[in-house]
Amino acid sequence: MFYLGVDVGSLSCDAVLVDEQGQMVDWAVIPTGARNVESIAKVQRQILAKSGIPLQQVGATIATGYGRDRVEGRLASVTEITCHGRGIQAALAGTEVLVDIGGQDSKAMLLDGKGRVLDFAMNDKCAAGTGRFLEAMARTLEIELAQLGHLDKDAHGDLTLSSMCTVFAESEVVSLIAEGAAVPEIVRGLHRAIANRTRTLIKRVAPNLSGLAVAMSGGVARNPGVVRTLGQVLDCEISVPKEPDTIGALGAALIARDRSVKR
Amino acid sequence: MMLPYFENLIQGIEERLATDKSGIVARKRLTLETARLGKRLYSGEERITWSGLVAPYDLLAAMGIVPCFVEFIGGMLASMGSIDPMLEQADQMGYATDCCTYHRAVTGAVHQGLLPEPDFLIATSAVCSGGMAVIEGLARHFDKDLFVIHVPHEKNERAVAYLADQFRALTDFVTEHTGEALDPDRLRMAVDNTNRARAAMIETYRWARQVPSPARSRDLINFGIVMALFLGTEGGAEVAEAYRDEFARKAGENIAGVPGEQLRLLWLQNRIQFKNPLVEMLEQEYQTAVVAEELNDIAWDPIDPEDPYPGFARRALSFSLVGSTAHRAQSIQRLAKDYQVDGAINPCHWGCRQGTGARGLMGEALRGAGVPTLNLEVDCVDPRNFAEGQLRTRLQAFVEMLLDHKAAAGGP
Repeated sequence: MFYLGVDVGSLSCDAVLVDEQGQMVDWAVIPTGARNVESIAKVQRQILAKSGIPLQQVGATIATGYGRDRVEGRLASVTEITCHGRGIQAALAGTEVLVDIGGQDSKAMLLDGKGRVLDFAMNDKCAAGTGRFLEAMARTLEIELAQLGHLDKDAHGDLTLSSMCTVFAESEVVSLIAEGAAVPEIVRGLHRAIANRTRTLIKRVAPNLSGLAVAMSGGVARNPGVVRTLGQVLDCEISVPKEPDTIGALGAALIARDRSVKR
Repeated sequence: MMLPYFENLIQGIEERLATDKSGIVARKRLTLETARLGKRLYSGEERITWSGLVAPYDLLAAMGIVPCFVEFIGGMLASMGSIDPMLEQADQMGYATDCCTYHRAVTGAVHQGLLPEPDFLIATSAVCSGGMAVIEGLARHFDKDLFVIHVPHEKNERAVAYLADQFRALTDFVTEHTGEALDPDRLRMAVDNTNRARAAMIETYRWARQVPSPARSRDLINFGIVMALFLGTEGGAEVAEAYRDEFARKAGENIAGVPGEQLRLLWLQNRIQFKNPLVEMLEQEYQTAVVAEELNDIAWDPIDPEDPYPGFARRALSFSLVGSTAHRAQSIQRLAKDYQVDGAINPCHWGCRQGTGARGLMGEALRGAGVPTLNLEVDCVDPRNFAEGQLRTRLQAFVEMLLDHKAAAGGP
């Protein structure tokens, strides 16, 4: 038997299949788009086709992410917090502090090193500093999102963005371009702004990071510039799992397996 | 608009109470008493005052005054689903949108002619300076006299004497405005009613502490804070006794407020006043009950009917939001222990300096007592700021975490 985890995020819809031993068999990630029910069906079809496993061999499905309650046939819905905690334990055993930055929210979790959540904090009121924010900034800078993470590698300035509201930050970036600021320096400023905001969130759950194993998941963890800058402002090493945007779905799949075994 | 609303509400509840067969009537009795207060405020036939939260309502009742604290209006308009125009009015007048919405609502309401004219006003320097500013604004708007009570930060006998003297001066102020002296017999009777209500509320809370608790999460929403308005009245004592009897019966028959109770929560400061599905979601999906509420707490002794002023002062000073954050921290630690809660929710009402300013300290105090705390950022009054999905995720993640801890510790 196999177990499926589906993470319906605001930007991407992710699916992970695990076997009875809890080993990842396959994963799939597609854009969520405007119609998440269709995306959910599509990602489920895609992972089954990719892995060659028939639906009848899927013992249980756990759904997570903001669209979790739209997943039909699920055993249960479980929040992203719990799923990321469980997933990172499988991907990077011993993680004690996890930061997850997704499409519209960011979260910091203190874990017991075995995947159990001890405390957590989430961004409030707005989505500044998340995947949506980076998308908007890349658009303003007229560059591809994937380029953002590498552009600031050789930048050394201390250009700061005073606002972390996505709309205002966009205006600020436009002004900086008009003033002739170099794009790598602007990107460095953006990454520092995100890193500083994320540091606040992390410090709420783990005021002292000394000796703790810190990891990052979510789509924004694919941006090496953000990971590097966050490591600098926290003065610690940040580990990133191989497929960081599938950690929530992996955790969901493992919870599906755990609950099925218990039943 | 308001008087017919309260009259219809009274009629509706009285009809439901007359035909009730469930025996679960305490909450309806509280709503009925609240509606009766609303009717009295808007009838135009009685002397009324707008006041701060820790005014001595039983003293005012004994002097024939119908009192109401200004935050009540915000909560009431929110629960009626009619608050948007009042908030827009306040916004148009230039109030910043991150000011407390309880206060913006009352400011908007008065400028829309929805607040009855008081005979005089009573401001209290605690629990918040925003509320005091609103009452000052109302006094100017209505061109009525304002009596200001300075509530000391400290809790000692000097503070009690200082506050008791101000309550005596308030008695003179009221007499000057009504032309009627305080009748000692009426005061004694009011204090007796207060003590009756107090005893019944304490007994109610004793039952609520039972595991599983007979309390449903919505049974005790705003209970203590609204009951403060009825102190000194026969109606208030009867409502408290209805709660006591209902909880005693349910506890005696082992009827849980939330069947299969798995988790027990303490709610700090304000509840969300407008209609929302969050608490029901916790009950139905996670068998999680809010069994304790900070603002319901009673930490004051019975009041001496022969010399009530020091008792009124001690009561005001005992309120958890009056005085130092250390006092508040001790209060919520005691509640967490007494009610055997698994976790606490701190909504941190937007624009509330007490709520948001003390957030870290309260979290630390509860963590020190082994009680995980979820900090939310909620506007408890303005539904336009309500992000249900985000709050739902935070609450669900919190209870998942608590259930996981409980399971790891060998819990249910």
